[in-house]
Amino acid sequence: MNRRKLLSLLGMSPAVLAGSPLLLADDKKKKEKGAAAAGAFKVTALNPRGLPPPITLVPMAPRLATLDGKTVYLVSDGFPGADAFLNQISIWFKKNMPSVTTVYRLKAGGFADDDPKLFAEIKAKGQAVIMAIGH
Amino acid sequence: MVTIAFKDLALTNCAKRGMPLQRISFTPHPVWGKTDDQMYAYLDGNDPVSGKPLMKEVVDSLTRPLMADEMKTGVVTPPTGAPTFVETADNLQQYFLDNGMTDFMPIILPTQERVDAMLKATSHKPDEPVGKMTPAQGAFPPWSYTVQQVAVNAVMAGAIPDYFPTILAIASTGISALFSSTNSLVSAAVINGPVRDKLQMNYGIGAMGPFNQANAVIGRAWTLMSKNLDGGGIAGETYMGSQGNIINYNNLIIPENEKDSPWPPFHVQKGFKPEENIISFFFGFNITQGQGGKGLGVKPIPLYNVAMSANVAPFASLFGALFILDPLVANGLGDLGFKTKEQLADWLQKNTTVTVKDVKSMLFSGLPRGPEAAGLTDDSVIPKWQRADAYNFVVCGGQTNPYHQLANMSYRLSVSIDKWT
Repeated sequence: MNRRKLLSLLGMSPAVLAGSPLLLADDKKKKEKGAAAAGAFKVTALNPRGLPPPITLVPMAPRLATLDGKTVYLVSDGFPGADAFLNQISIWFKKNMPSVTTVYRLKAGGFADDDPKLFAEIKAKGQAVIMAIGH
Repeated sequence: MVTIAFKDLALTNCAKRGMPLQRISFTPHPVWGKTDDQMYAYLDGNDPVSGKPLMKEVVDSLTRPLMADEMKTGVVTPPTGAPTFVETADNLQQYFLDNGMTDFMPIILPTQERVDAMLKATSHKPDEPVGKMTPAQGAFPPWSYTVQQVAVNAVMAGAIPDYFPTILAIASTGISALFSSTNSLVSAAVINGPVRDKLQMNYGIGAMGPFNQANAVIGRAWTLMSKNLDGGGIAGETYMGSQGNIINYNNLIIPENEKDSPWPPFHVQKGFKPEENIISFFFGFNITQGQGGKGLGVKPIPLYNVAMSANVAPFASLFGALFILDPLVANGLGDLGFKTKEQLADWLQKNTTVTVKDVKSMLFSGLPRGPEAAGLTDDSVIPKWQRADAYNFVVCGGQTNPYHQLANMSYRLSVSIDKWT
């Protein structure tokens, strides 16, 4: 049993020995031994990481030649403030590109949930989407 | 369009989803809490990343012809790194730290010998798939992992082999303890059954503090797995909690004090047998102390139920309530007439109420929908939570003081530990 443990058992803080030459000598020996071991030997450690899935590249949707006369859907996932921000985008279009029609929609479900009905509507009636996502 | 705080997340996640050249424009952050004029000023200003006029850039992104690289198809296999790393012990510690594979505290190096010893604690084969995990379901593609990869993380956390089936049970759920949300969320696991004593877990004095190896290390393994098995816990990329949470270091590991509880243990409530070893998961905002509440000064038995009700009233209703009751409190509630946890949940559901006006003023506290919503006015008084099962109770503590703690957390699921022995 070393003195630190003994002192602990006696209810005393081992810190009282912080200046003890004997303890310092013990610590020095331990440090030297540890440093020699750390420097002399190489260790093989296993990789802790899991396996990410393969990535399928998704080609981007064809671009429009112009937004003039087109309908842009502004879609919110319901995160606080998204509706107000999209409303400002709608105002920006009215001021700066009045030929663009904007349509606001709140997506069903949480931020990661699909909303097939909404996206079918956008495909049928819209030409572009600006989506605000928060989580 | 993405706010600037989410730049790294957006860029890397688009790449992980096969759209490395996605056209993204950035706004200043945040959007929430800004006036209409402030938000319009964002739109009228420049993208803080490109320095170009923001809305002009958005319109350009929608109309500029695609380049060949933007139309590429095919499958890419992301690099996972070498299966082993060979270096001195000190250099390996530094390597694991520099590459985000630790909790920024020293780890036990996962040598083959240590991992093999861990693997002997389960009948499952090293290459057997355990599950899939993601920092946020639907937001990040889930990663998969084997028994051996779980064992590597268990070694790193300081686990002894006896803990391994419990750690495998955690891994099997695919629940990350480091959910990527901006809300700095926390996770909890309640452990029931004889395994608590087999592992010499602490469900008495100081149970939720740093006073027991199994309690501490099993929780730490969960955090390390949540970093390494799913690519999570990268601040700004796969973790966005605005302030983070100290509980994320080793989570809330709560072995229930079954022997001193007046009620059946939590896993029995969920339909398991008392002798089964079960781990149950919770998830939510945080935990807080419940002392000094209304009714606690009443003699001879403090009205713990009244205090509990008053304490949860300000909680966000996005998550439910998890009470961790010292046995003194649980038995006091029993003396007050609550003979089952279900009876207590029912009382709290009926008596914990808020006004519609208050709900409207709170973030993440939704109003009732459907028939319950009919006829509600701002002055209407409604239950804090619509269902009694939003209230959950676990008995834990050493009976040195009649204290309880409460967490704004929801129950998720319970799984078998025995399956992984």
